[in-house]
Amino acid sequence: MDLTVILLELTKGLAAFTWQNAVMITAACVLIYLAVAKEYEPVLLLPIGFGCLLANIPLAGMTASEGMMGFLYEAGIKSELFPLLIFIGVGAMIDFSPLLSQPKMVLLGAAGQFGIFGTLMLAIWLGFPLNEAASIGVIGAIDGPTSIFVATKLAPELLAPIAVAAYSYMSLIPIIQPPLMRLLTSKQERLIRMEYTPRPISHTTLVAFPIVLTLAVGLLVPEATPLISMLMLGNLLKVSGVVDRLSKAAQNEIINIATLFLGLTIGATMGASSFLQPKTLIILLLGLFAFGLDTVAGLLFGKLMSFLSGGKINPLIGAAGISAFPMAGRLAAKMAAEEDYDNFILMHAMGSNTAGQLGSVIAGGVLLSVVGKILGIG
Amino acid sequence: MKYTLKVDGQTFEVEIDDIDRRPVIARVDGQEFEVSPETGAAATPGAAPAAALPTRSNQSGKVLTAPLPGVVLEVFVKPGEKVEAGQVLLVIEAMKMKNSIRSVRDGTVAAVHVTAGQTVAHKQALLEFVE
Repeated sequence: MDLTVILLELTKGLAAFTWQNAVMITAACVLIYLAVAKEYEPVLLLPIGFGCLLANIPLAGMTASEGMMGFLYEAGIKSELFPLLIFIGVGAMIDFSPLLSQPKMVLLGAAGQFGIFGTLMLAIWLGFPLNEAASIGVIGAIDGPTSIFVATKLAPELLAPIAVAAYSYMSLIPIIQPPLMRLLTSKQERLIRMEYTPRPISHTTLVAFPIVLTLAVGLLVPEATPLISMLMLGNLLKVSGVVDRLSKAAQNEIINIATLFLGLTIGATMGASSFLQPKTLIILLLGLFAFGLDTVAGLLFGKLMSFLSGGKINPLIGAAGISAFPMAGRLAAKMAAEEDYDNFILMHAMGSNTAGQLGSVIAGGVLLSVVGKILGIG
Repeated sequence: MKYTLKVDGQTFEVEIDDIDRRPVIARVDGQEFEVSPETGAAATPGAAPAAALPTRSNQSGKVLTAPLPGVVLEVFVKPGEKVEAGQVLLVIEAMKMKNSIRSVRDGTVAAVHVTAGQTVAHKQALLEFVE
């Protein structure tokens, strides 16, 4: 055999390596850096970063349909299995009692979805087709599984930037939300103390809630059934109190395994050729806009509720009406405590935050149903 | 202290931390009630403190109560210790978030009613100041 042939064979990886791959590997390293050094959502950003790294090693074949990533994509993302498995775990970790004891928080969870529809309209105006615009809008909920679920159905080609946007903005909540919160609320408003007078929630109510909600949402918005039912299944495991082992498995093993493979697979969709496009940048910007708009809408609605209640509601909890459970709720509580360390609005913020989680799932379902209907898909 | 009470043929387990304190905080099935025996009025949960402390503080007078339900993670002070306003007295974990409970006043701790690991209900007495 000719020596040059051997040499070519030995260096074929390097030869096929493009500058675009280098850019994406740098992006992968930034994600891994944020995860390791800054601990920004490391559970997600670390696997996403590593998956991105793998996707940009030429000729490795991992992302081909018979490769590991290709297989995981078919099995877990295209089938929508991973986001749904994650939702079983999320459901088992959510405590709905702050919401059940303060039902008016549901309104904030609805207001927090405004950005989804606002961004959808903006994206259409910018020339995105309806299916892509709807998928981009859902980023505003800052709910990874819902974004992935909707994007997979409506615009699978945009999955990578949408998932990356949803998860990176989730990690940037403590950076993006506080300036908006300070801008839109006065110090006076942030200082509002909220009386915590929860009405007692019976065990029966806690158990009935996930069942009733699954049926109600399922019958009204059938497209939201997969997400809401898995979320509620996880919650039922937890609140029933009789399947502690299953509840623990959902909160640990199931969600951890699904998160690892979801992150890795999403990262692996970040191949240079599909990701390094002007469109990606626009999607990331629109996602940021959607997130900001959701936060603003939530805050403004919080202010309205504050006004209508005669100053009994701290508008900061409106910002928790996006999804991003529980980070957004904690942040609202932290912001209030920064102004006055003796002010605890955590339970209210969590009520709003869990309402936001439900709201974004329902909004995702509504989008799937409406857009699917218009476009004749699904 | 636990008491077993029979009302209309129904048996209740009532837990009272300190019967000499006013109002008496009684827990029945994990739910808290404030009772003022002198006036004979039993308050509904939450309603009485809401009326008594409209907007201000979980720290009124001598007693520091839990501003939110959760689990005590750490207690930083001991009886007899002098504390300053702003000092972290204990940490309560609620909704997986650590909440630092700070003192709103200078004073001396008279008694600590909770220990690390203990689950506390909203408005449950955490510690008391000397005066």
